[in-house]
Amino acid sequence: MTDPDYDGPILEIDNLSISFFTRLREIPAVMDFSVRVRPGEAMGLVGESGCGKSTVALGVMQDLGVNGRVVGGSIKFKGRDLGQMSDAELRDIRGSEIAMIYQEPMASLNPAMKIGKQLMEVPIIHKGISEKEAYDRALEVVTDVKLPDPKRILDAYPHQLSGGQQQRIVIAMALMSKPSLLILDEPTTALDVTVEAAVVELVKELGVKYGTSMLFISHNLGLVLETCDRLCVMYSGEAVETGSIEDVFDKMRHPYTQALFRSIPLPGADKNSKPLIAIPGNFPLPHERPPGCNFGPRCDYFEEGRCDAQTIPMATVEGDERHRTRCLRFEEIDWSMIPLGSDTKEKSEPGDVILKIDDLKKYYQVAASALFSGGNKKVVKANETLSFEARESETLAIVGESGCGKSTFAKVLMGLETATEGSVILDNREIGQTEIANRDTKTVSDIQMVFQNPFDTLNPSMTVGRQIIRALEIFAVGNSETERRDRMLQLLDLVKLPREFAGRMPRQLSGGQKQRVGIARAFAGDARIVVADEPVSALDVSVQAAVTDLLMEIQREHKTTLLFISHDLSIVRYLSDRVMVMYLGHVVELGTTDQVFAPPYHPYTEALLSAVPIADTRVKKKHIVLEGDIPSAMNPPPGCPFQTRCRWKSKVPGNLCETEVPPMKTTADGLQIKCHLTDSQMEEMEPVITIAAE
Amino acid sequence: MEPLTWTGTLGAYLNPLLALFAAVFAVAAVAQFILGFVLQPGRTTANADGTLSVERGPLEWIGEAMKWSFLGIVLVVLAYLLGGIVTPYGTGGIIGAMSARFLPVWIALIATFALSITFKRRLGLYGKLFDSPIGMVGFGLVMFWVFTAIFGGPLDMIITHDPLSQVSGLKNKIPGVPVPGIEEMGVGAHYLLGGDNLARDIFSRMVEGAWIVIQIAPLATLFAFMVGITLGLPAGYYGGALDTFLSFLANLILAFPVILLFYLLVTPEIVATGIPSYMAAVLFLFPVIFLGVLLNSRYYTQPTFRTGLLIVVLGIAGFTYLAIISQRGTPLQILPNAIDPITINGGILVVFVSVVFVNAPTVFRIVRSLALDIQTRDYVAAAQTRGEGAWYIMLWEILPNARGPLIVDFCLRIGYTTILLGTLGFFGLGLPPESPDWGSTINEGRKLLSIYPHPALPPAVALLTLVLGLNLLADGLREESLKD
Repeated sequence: MTDPDYDGPILEIDNLSISFFTRLREIPAVMDFSVRVRPGEAMGLVGESGCGKSTVALGVMQDLGVNGRVVGGSIKFKGRDLGQMSDAELRDIRGSEIAMIYQEPMASLNPAMKIGKQLMEVPIIHKGISEKEAYDRALEVVTDVKLPDPKRILDAYPHQLSGGQQQRIVIAMALMSKPSLLILDEPTTALDVTVEAAVVELVKELGVKYGTSMLFISHNLGLVLETCDRLCVMYSGEAVETGSIEDVFDKMRHPYTQALFRSIPLPGADKNSKPLIAIPGNFPLPHERPPGCNFGPRCDYFEEGRCDAQTIPMATVEGDERHRTRCLRFEEIDWSMIPLGSDTKEKSEPGDVILKIDDLKKYYQVAASALFSGGNKKVVKANETLSFEARESETLAIVGESGCGKSTFAKVLMGLETATEGSVILDNREIGQTEIANRDTKTVSDIQMVFQNPFDTLNPSMTVGRQIIRALEIFAVGNSETERRDRMLQLLDLVKLPREFAGRMPRQLSGGQKQRVGIARAFAGDARIVVADEPVSALDVSVQAAVTDLLMEIQREHKTTLLFISHDLSIVRYLSDRVMVMYLGHVVELGTTDQVFAPPYHPYTEALLSAVPIADTRVKKKHIVLEGDIPSAMNPPPGCPFQTRCRWKSKVPGNLCETEVPPMKTTADGLQIKCHLTDSQMEEMEPVITIAAE
Repeated sequence: MEPLTWTGTLGAYLNPLLALFAAVFAVAAVAQFILGFVLQPGRTTANADGTLSVERGPLEWIGEAMKWSFLGIVLVVLAYLLGGIVTPYGTGGIIGAMSARFLPVWIALIATFALSITFKRRLGLYGKLFDSPIGMVGFGLVMFWVFTAIFGGPLDMIITHDPLSQVSGLKNKIPGVPVPGIEEMGVGAHYLLGGDNLARDIFSRMVEGAWIVIQIAPLATLFAFMVGITLGLPAGYYGGALDTFLSFLANLILAFPVILLFYLLVTPEIVATGIPSYMAAVLFLFPVIFLGVLLNSRYYTQPTFRTGLLIVVLGIAGFTYLAIISQRGTPLQILPNAIDPITINGGILVVFVSVVFVNAPTVFRIVRSLALDIQTRDYVAAAQTRGEGAWYIMLWEILPNARGPLIVDFCLRIGYTTILLGTLGFFGLGLPPESPDWGSTINEGRKLLSIYPHPALPPAVALLTLVLGLNLLADGLREESLKD
């Protein structure tokens, strides 16, 4: 076992290189990577997908599979080289000294085993303690991760818990044997924002309580800011900048880090006056990396003959504590933050109302039992009294977490489902009761959708051009094959894709490119209303900016109404004109973006704002953590839908919140809030996000 | 004249070599298995140029020995085959003589592999098959029998004797027996694999049997797939009552004892009522419906083009359908004989019907579950939101993306069908009794198996290698389709 009195760095990675060997070639995944994690320190590992951050984690676990191999450098855990250890020694360390938490909680738990058994296994195997002791320890840890009713939880199967609870169990399991190092690989990506905030909070607290060092892998800079002491930015297999959070966030010394910060919507960015700057070009494939600096071809400061002439070593930034960057020119570049995008774009004025939703309700009947469907039927109220208007060339954001009914609303609008009650009026025509098969071509082509998952949005067995042409055929655009082909090529121009892409198969395109094709397809019939269902949430940050910009630009040109469904408040704040917040099928707040992001808030909006991680050290946020999970739509709480998690509930007299659904109140300047709080109580609310004066 | 031995005069040199290599290989294999528990494998280190090198320990040396001795065995086998081709008839023994008879097959195989490997990067999934050794072996075995069927059947290039003619005195004679009355050494001088119970040449019958199997099995499987797909897609896509009904029907058929079904189908009384004909009429209708819906859903936005296309395609398909189901002597005689170009042996029709009937429910289940999975994808939602019809979504959005598992299953299912044909032949069902197909010949050979094993073995080995080849091919396809 390891020396208990060891007080050096917990994890030392020196010049680590990892490659994967395929039949064709060697693919270097990580090159010359060095990092040190001291006891009790939380180290963030940030980068886009494919940059090698997860490979580093697997390297630490010495679990690279048959093809992966450490080809250079060393990984030392508490001073011992992990690469020299035998399998038995490694087994001893994994799960007891080093624990790992993965992205998908359901996949990390054995569905056929009770939670208690799975937790108890860890110390029984590693420490050889008795079952009784193990049970006590499991109970203690489950209490520590703040799960209600720990005894019941220990006796439950994984599927009986919600996603957030499952992730807490995974964390508990990692803590069972009091590890010295905890590796978290995107631990909250699969969770909702408010749940994510609670889990992050928990991880932070436990880190302090147990004194565990952490390696926190994430693509979300905001999250890293909230959880870590130091961070390491990775690009294309290399660490490009490493240092303390403050140094890297405020005094970045690598062009990639700078570009990354410019492409994420921070408070202050605005789609018209201060647009985001996307990083030009594409991420290089692992076997097609450029000579010299990997970021060279996409870098604003690239100098030919210098940046591409040699391998770039890590250089120490003078004056900062352990701040290093992999840039030759970092001392020459003027790092004073260039204000976000300078080219001001004309603000488009909203036109006439083209879509009017009035008192829309959508209920689903669910049979309690499939076999005896005659008996009691349950009603799922997916949408409850939705009313709003959308104007021409306006961006209306629909915000809410999973299960809030935003996708159901999209289905009703598209005609895939019909409304239970109420009306959907497009240009003075009622379409809420008309299924898509009965809608005329014009109506169908007027309302189109951009989907969330870029890997799913295109049919993998049809060429890109063919898919767009098919949409044109359906929308009766063009009279002949050649006309449609020309129009298809124009659409590719519109979304800024090269015309050669018409003959490509979707698998040859990157995520961002696929999403562009999805946008082109949606605009095939000159759509007037585009429902964008989280169109950028699955993309990497640098690509997000480009795709968002494209959507905005097309909207400006075509005067499209954009219904932007999202849970990411940063991007909503950046691009929307009005915001609608939904919770469990109810609209809880509706107003212009400025109104929604400033007090008075609906209590849910307040919590949501507080939960969203913002990658800006100047931002001070009020800390609101919601208790519990989102209730099931099958079994909603009586009265106000949010009453089970609301922190303002005690301010409302009597049990009004539990018995009555609050009415929609409209303030003088048009903000609508569904809450029982009085106006004066609303006035007292403080802003959640404040930006410290510079 | 002298009877042929297995390896002829070449065997004098090659047999000891083969024995030597086989012995080394066997010893090395056992040693590796046992020492594997004790010894550690050598360390692998990565080199700067992107290659890996392994330290040589005892285990690695044993591995080398196995590799080389295996290569030796393969070379000796090749020498037997090649020796038979280049040396005069008889020198290479039975194996050499058979190898010489299969010469067109060897040439075709080599040409296929050479062309495919040269252009494999441009051939999609088929080309990727040549990256997988398993897939290549499987494809080789399958193509061997396909070429044998083509060259041996209609082209008549391989067989040495008429598969139906009997030569007196050769009843149940062992392989390599000389044919009486032929004096000169040459093709046809011997029954290469001996004679069967009716003194017919086993080698020729095996080759001729391949043609029957290769004709029926893939086609019957294709029909089963058409039926399964046409019913499985809507069941998975619509779900609900339709799904419940069709799934129940499929379960019902799967639960029915198939052997009983086969016996029923060939009973003369049942045939006289026309039940097999009516079943054929229903089952064969599905491919026609499938084609019609497939094209209509795709081209209905261009009415003029669509109508022309449908008239041509459905015209041809419809006429073929009528010609197939309308047979003389059955209650279904729709087309007059003068314009009925297709006459199918009643037995083969029954074989088709039973193969489709038995396989379609399984295909139905596979397609249904694939449709259930794929219809949740965003591209299906995108098609729905632009107002596509249900059949377009099923046939053009869902089906092409289900092709991977379906192709694999198709290969496996041809194998099952081949075995099923054998089973049918074994029971004496379907095909005429003198038919040289493998199932029937195995059945005939079985009767004297304890005294004369040689008549039953060649068709059994042929069946085994074909099905094994199909299974390996399916494995290779599955493995390669998952990459990328």
